[in-house]
Amino acid sequence: MDMRENERPMLILKDIHKFYGKNEVIKGVSLEVRKGELVTFVGPSGCGKTTLLRLIGGFTDVSSGDIILDGQRINDLPPNLRDTRICFQNYALFPHMTVAENVGYGLKINKWPKHRIEARVKELLEMVELQAFADRMIDRLSGGQQQRVAFARALSLEPKVLLLDEPLSNLDANLRLVMREEIRNLQERLQITTVFVTHDQFEAMAISDRLVVMKDGLIEQVGSPIEIYERPANEFIAGFVGYVNFMEGRVASIDENTRNTVINTEYGKIEITLSQGDINSADEVLMVIRPESVNISLDCGGKGQNVLSGALKSYMYAGSLAKCTVKIGDRTMIIDQYNPRDAQQFKHAEKVEVHIPRSVHLLKRKR
Amino acid sequence: MAPAELSVKLQASSGSKIRDFLNANLINILAAFLFLLLAFFLLYPIIAVLIKSLRGPSGFTLEYYRSFFSKNYYFQSLFNTLLLGVINTVVCLVIGFCLAYMTTRGPWILRKPLKIIALIPLIAPPYLFALSLIILFGRNGIVTRMFDLHWQLYGFNGVVISQTLAFIPLAYMMIENTLMSLNPNLEESAYDMGASEATILRTITIPLLAPGLLKAALLIFVMTIAEFGNAAILGGRTPFLAPDTYTMITGESDFNMGSVLSVILIAPCIIIFFIHNYLLEGKKFTTIGGKPVASEPRKITPLIQAPFIIITTVAAGAIFICFAVVFVASFYKILGVTHNVVLSNYLDFTSNQAIYNSIRVSFVAAVIGAFIGVLLAYVIVRGKFFGRTFIEMVSLSGFALPGTVVGIGYLLAFSAPPLKLTGGIMILALNCVFRFLAVGVEAGISKLHQINIEIEEASADLGASFLTTFYRIVLPIMFPAFIAGFIYTFMTAIVSLSAVVFLVSPGFALASVKIFDAAVYGEVGIASATTMKLVLIVTICMLILNFIRNKTRLGGSMKKSAAV
Amino acid sequence: MKRKPIAFVVAAIFSLVLAGSTPAEDINAYMGTSPDNNAKIAKFIKDKTGITVNQTFQSFGEIEARAKAEAPNFNADMIIGCGSPLAFMAKKSGWSHPYVSPAWKGVAEVFMDPQGDWYNIANFSFVLVGSKDRLAKAGYSMPTSWKDLLDPKWKGEILMPSPLSSGTANMMRFSFLALYGDDEGWKFLEALDKNIAYYTRSGNAPTDLVGRGEFMLGITSDENVKKRIDDGYPLIWSIPNEGTGYDGTYALIFKGTKKLAACKKIIDVLGTPEFSTLMAEIGYVTPRPAPNALYGKTLPKYIKLDLAKAADDKPKNNDIWKQKLRTDFK
Repeated sequence: MDMRENERPMLILKDIHKFYGKNEVIKGVSLEVRKGELVTFVGPSGCGKTTLLRLIGGFTDVSSGDIILDGQRINDLPPNLRDTRICFQNYALFPHMTVAENVGYGLKINKWPKHRIEARVKELLEMVELQAFADRMIDRLSGGQQQRVAFARALSLEPKVLLLDEPLSNLDANLRLVMREEIRNLQERLQITTVFVTHDQFEAMAISDRLVVMKDGLIEQVGSPIEIYERPANEFIAGFVGYVNFMEGRVASIDENTRNTVINTEYGKIEITLSQGDINSADEVLMVIRPESVNISLDCGGKGQNVLSGALKSYMYAGSLAKCTVKIGDRTMIIDQYNPRDAQQFKHAEKVEVHIPRSVHLLKRKR
Repeated sequence: MAPAELSVKLQASSGSKIRDFLNANLINILAAFLFLLLAFFLLYPIIAVLIKSLRGPSGFTLEYYRSFFSKNYYFQSLFNTLLLGVINTVVCLVIGFCLAYMTTRGPWILRKPLKIIALIPLIAPPYLFALSLIILFGRNGIVTRMFDLHWQLYGFNGVVISQTLAFIPLAYMMIENTLMSLNPNLEESAYDMGASEATILRTITIPLLAPGLLKAALLIFVMTIAEFGNAAILGGRTPFLAPDTYTMITGESDFNMGSVLSVILIAPCIIIFFIHNYLLEGKKFTTIGGKPVASEPRKITPLIQAPFIIITTVAAGAIFICFAVVFVASFYKILGVTHNVVLSNYLDFTSNQAIYNSIRVSFVAAVIGAFIGVLLAYVIVRGKFFGRTFIEMVSLSGFALPGTVVGIGYLLAFSAPPLKLTGGIMILALNCVFRFLAVGVEAGISKLHQINIEIEEASADLGASFLTTFYRIVLPIMFPAFIAGFIYTFMTAIVSLSAVVFLVSPGFALASVKIFDAAVYGEVGIASATTMKLVLIVTICMLILNFIRNKTRLGGSMKKSAAV
Repeated sequence: MKRKPIAFVVAAIFSLVLAGSTPAEDINAYMGTSPDNNAKIAKFIKDKTGITVNQTFQSFGEIEARAKAEAPNFNADMIIGCGSPLAFMAKKSGWSHPYVSPAWKGVAEVFMDPQGDWYNIANFSFVLVGSKDRLAKAGYSMPTSWKDLLDPKWKGEILMPSPLSSGTANMMRFSFLALYGDDEGWKFLEALDKNIAYYTRSGNAPTDLVGRGEFMLGITSDENVKKRIDDGYPLIWSIPNEGTGYDGTYALIFKGTKKLAACKKIIDVLGTPEFSTLMAEIGYVTPRPAPNALYGKTLPKYIKLDLAKAADDKPKNNDIWKQKLRTDFK
């Protein structure tokens, strides 16, 4: 995050609403994106993230609200007059042009002199390492190469905001990892303000400065990947950014000094260190227990703090980790055991102990 | 998994080799059968025409061709026909493009009504426009009288106007199709890169649509030079090949000369077909994510918007007015002469009988056509025999063959024993089947390309025979293609005139022929009322078919089973 | 499966549609009078004999072409209404089934072939029609001589049928050739051509087009003129002082029909005075004299004709027609 140079946000969305007929698909979204920041809209399909991106790009009119780009209200500007550039999910490369013509299209449209276009295209192709492919037709490129051409084309006019609509979803898994790193590196190097849309929460967490989690046309939570993952605002977000085990309980006491908090559950007391301020004594809460945060051990009969005993229903060994399904009472818990060393024993074990960590995040239960 | 593997092995070792052989060859047998049908009902009649044009009373002769090329009259006719084709094609393309652009890129509220207006002429006989033009702009037409005008409707201009209006739907449909298949993101990208609407059209839309536009142009050209209804009604003294051929056969019964004219008429079609198949081969642009998506409305700049809106309004308005005129005319004994509203035109018994016959013929044609179309698509896509592309070409060519030529061909080929088919319902149905086969075949081919051959293999793997697989797996999957072929054949057959006019027999008048006769004869009221009844009935049939299609829609369940 | 019932229904409709319905007794006939008159004739036959006549409307020329194309395997059982060229050719070529009908006894020889190969159910002629409104507006009166039609003031205002497709037009042609002699006749037709707007496909079409005011004058078949005037068309008609020609409306039975008895029955009723009355009411000149709707009691002046020669000359005249009249445009 770069806050020193420019405090004014590059892009501001003010209470954006969008209707298609009677159907409201964006129900009041406000957001500020700082210069140089990479913000990701993430959410399940139909949440409005792509619509929001298209609103910023100017392909769709907002029904109400303002879009402000670098201090200027751009609601009424058509896409060709907005200083934003979009990279579509399917790249939308012009199949009747070569790589160089594609990258130089915007420059030509904007009446750049020929020699400057050539220089700029060369520079851009070097940037995405496609110098050798300048004269190829688009359909002779691999998916990853096409992705890079699209990226170079979008960057050609040095937009104030770059809009990326699921740019990696057409690539296979390995290439996706490589490309997302490349995009992130370039973005950081060029310090280009970027709005990224994806439905892949892991991709979103890996690439972003901040995540905007959306659902049903509304923003559910805005925050850094760490905030979103460790301190989700609600059940939906907790479940959306990774697998989660929930456990109901009631706050018995909170020590004001140590923040040591005791929670009563139907399986016994759990003690944690409270790191959030919105929980009070006697609150009904939901503990957000990530599978990898739990320790699992073979049942030794002894009972320690935060230890629950359960029956091991399945144990799937996968090298670097083992996925355990543990039945505690009538509740099933998924636990990731990283670096599973006693796999052989676990495979035949029936009773196990589960150690709930003290760092558990709490959600207030609504009634 | 183990028991299944075992059973497969067991089957392989027991006498399933014979069945495998049969299974493998059934598709070839089917293909051979279908090819025979095509050869018999599509190639043979055309060849019969060719032979007739070359064979005089004393064997082979080029006399008839010499006669054609030595007479100024025929040259004039040929020239008029080609000129009509070119003008018509260009105008239809422009109007079709504007309409399609508006219905795919324009404001939401305009899209549906415009689309309906653009497609409505499909369900009426194409010479409806000749009829309404006479009522409006004839020498004693409503508009002519109102403004005391002195124009000449009967001649080249009248034919061009009515023919253009008649072929707008075809142009619109094909261009809309290509516009829809164009990924909207491409244009949006260009827009995003700073291009204006005009620049997008010039640098992206039109270059990318070029192959599709060219294909549409070729087809319109071929069909417009072959359609004879408008030219026969409005041509006046201006000769055109198609009505000339008609007079040559039905008036003078000069089959030799009629065949020569047919061959001349068919020549551009063959040339065009060649161009289409070979020159365009390498010119297809593949785009990623080809799923048709509706584009969002654009903020079109007024400068670009103006011509689009003008052309669209004029075209849509003209179509609408023509229909309205025919509707009004159907309630008058003679519109413009008598002034009392009557219903007698609608009660006309012979026209009701003719409509009933038309429905019967079209229904039979549609069932057979859709079925053969699906089978053809199957052998074309899944077969591995030699000559597959030839079968594909032949089955798609019926579309581009002039109806008059097919009609004459059928008359020549099937009017004498042992192949006597004339005088019945089947000859009318069959010529429609083979002329309009292309749509069913193309729908079937694209459907088959969508589904994975592994589904069929999975079925075969589970021990199903070829026939079972075909019946249980392929046919249900192809059902939408079957329906598409059915609807198209039905709709086209019920309004088509150019071929069946040669083949109708006493006691079996068809609605389109009846309307044509009434229009030529001057019974405007009867012609209009019959047209309106036909339009109404076709609309009802379409609604029923759509209802059935929606009821039996297999899309959802199909995807699931494909995923499993 | 769910689709089975649908498949069944489709198959059921399909077989139903193919089967169609067959009435008790019916024959197929090519009928060359106007659609209205065809229907009247068919109704008369149905009323008198109970036989249903399935018919298509075609011009004389088209029936001729079709018969030639189909011979000797005709798709119809008989013809009720064709021109003399086909009737004579049918007899000559042996396409017609001879039947001497007792019901026709006593008619003039122009109405019946001695061997019974053809019967002429009604004579018709051609007349000049004019559009009342258009003529009044232009201040012109109806021509009194055929030669008046050559006046350049009529340029583009006269309609006549094409002899290439219409039997009526063929009658006009051979009548003019008989009236003026071959050389003069062709010169007349060539000069007339300069004023002709266009040649219609059917012999009755000028009546309707002139009636609707599309054109001022038409040379047209007389059979429908009375009806159109009754319908309310603002039409006037006349026969120029040189007179008019005539041709028969012929009926014959095709050789090889499977419904010979029915066809004979029909020929019989066509010879009755009642049928003549029906045709005369339409405006035809009939085998059994009856008051004519168009001409009243005094028949028009006729040009002297040899119908057999006219029939023989038809192909030759078609060729000359094309050579002389089809070389100029617009």
